[in-house]
Amino acid sequence: MAEEEGESLIHVAIEAEELFGIGPLSFTNSMVGALLTSVLLGLAAWYITRRSSLVPGRLQSAFELPVELMTGIISGSSSRWRGYASLILGFFLMILVANWIGLLPGVGTIGIAHIEDGHEVIVPIVRPASADLNFTLGLAIVAFVMFVYWGIKANGAGGYLKELVGEPRYMAPLMFPINLISEFSRLISLSMRLFGNVFAGEVLLATMIALAPILIPAVFLGLEVLFGFVQALVFALLAMTYIATAIAEHQTAGHDDDQGEADAAHADHPTAAEAAPV
Amino acid sequence: MESNLAAGLAMGLGAIGPGIGLGIAVSKAMEALGRNPEASGAIFVPYILGIALAEAIGIYALVVSLLLIFVA
Repeated sequence: MAEEEGESLIHVAIEAEELFGIGPLSFTNSMVGALLTSVLLGLAAWYITRRSSLVPGRLQSAFELPVELMTGIISGSSSRWRGYASLILGFFLMILVANWIGLLPGVGTIGIAHIEDGHEVIVPIVRPASADLNFTLGLAIVAFVMFVYWGIKANGAGGYLKELVGEPRYMAPLMFPINLISEFSRLISLSMRLFGNVFAGEVLLATMIALAPILIPAVFLGLEVLFGFVQALVFALLAMTYIATAIAEHQTAGHDDDQGEADAAHADHPTAAEAAPV
Repeated sequence: MESNLAAGLAMGLGAIGPGIGLGIAVSKAMEALGRNPEASGAIFVPYILGIALAEAIGIYALVVSLLLIFVA
């Protein structure tokens, strides 16, 4: 009985729900969230760059703040940061807006009513895109392909394979599968972390609103604003350090002694990320 | 019924390790900040990365318990 009650109190759907289908393709509510995110970002970019001035106004500096923050961090990651800065910035802004869309009033509550197993179920029209594993896995695949590409571009395919085989060559039968698994586990952990955090946040908010509808959810909404920002930052920073290490391994492996001062100044970031296994 | 119990146990027990790890990470970061407040910029990125990696373990527990509730 208690289970029945809990189920009707909050409606939790782990996968995005279908709004309508075109043949075999289904259009889910998280797609609406992703489209909304893209449209918002596009509109903001268009509006700000249309009337941008050298001395920024109040609105312009508000929009420049996250870009400046991320550019500052990215430029400290490696000497060749210009190549991947736009990708990391794109990750950050996309995930940030996608996370925060879930906090807007009406996003999880306005929907189409369905009759399912005798009782009414509301399918929300908009679901924050990052609460769908397909979206986060897609972003993680882009990050994965990019850091493998950068690694191969910097070291060559042979250099990349040598990196996977590991240092003492006779350990290769043991180390190669382990390194291969750890490469792919980055994909899993990147996507699962973002999905798990945002989805858990949505469930937490729904539970709190169901239990204590007045005043209490405001605290958790504030927390979710913070978590949405931190998760966007974490995804972007992890993708950044993966790419930075993929490039930097070439520099440290090739000529360790005649490294320029510019590389030595940035050497602390790649080594910090190298110590991280996942 | 059993899978609900297992999901609760998985999340609760799985949160112990990351909780301790996060506590250690934050306390060390604050200690470092207290000793050298100018280093906040250099500490920030490795700190966020370490926090994220510790938290990932908790997220794995969350994924396991979600699988137990919704799939098993």
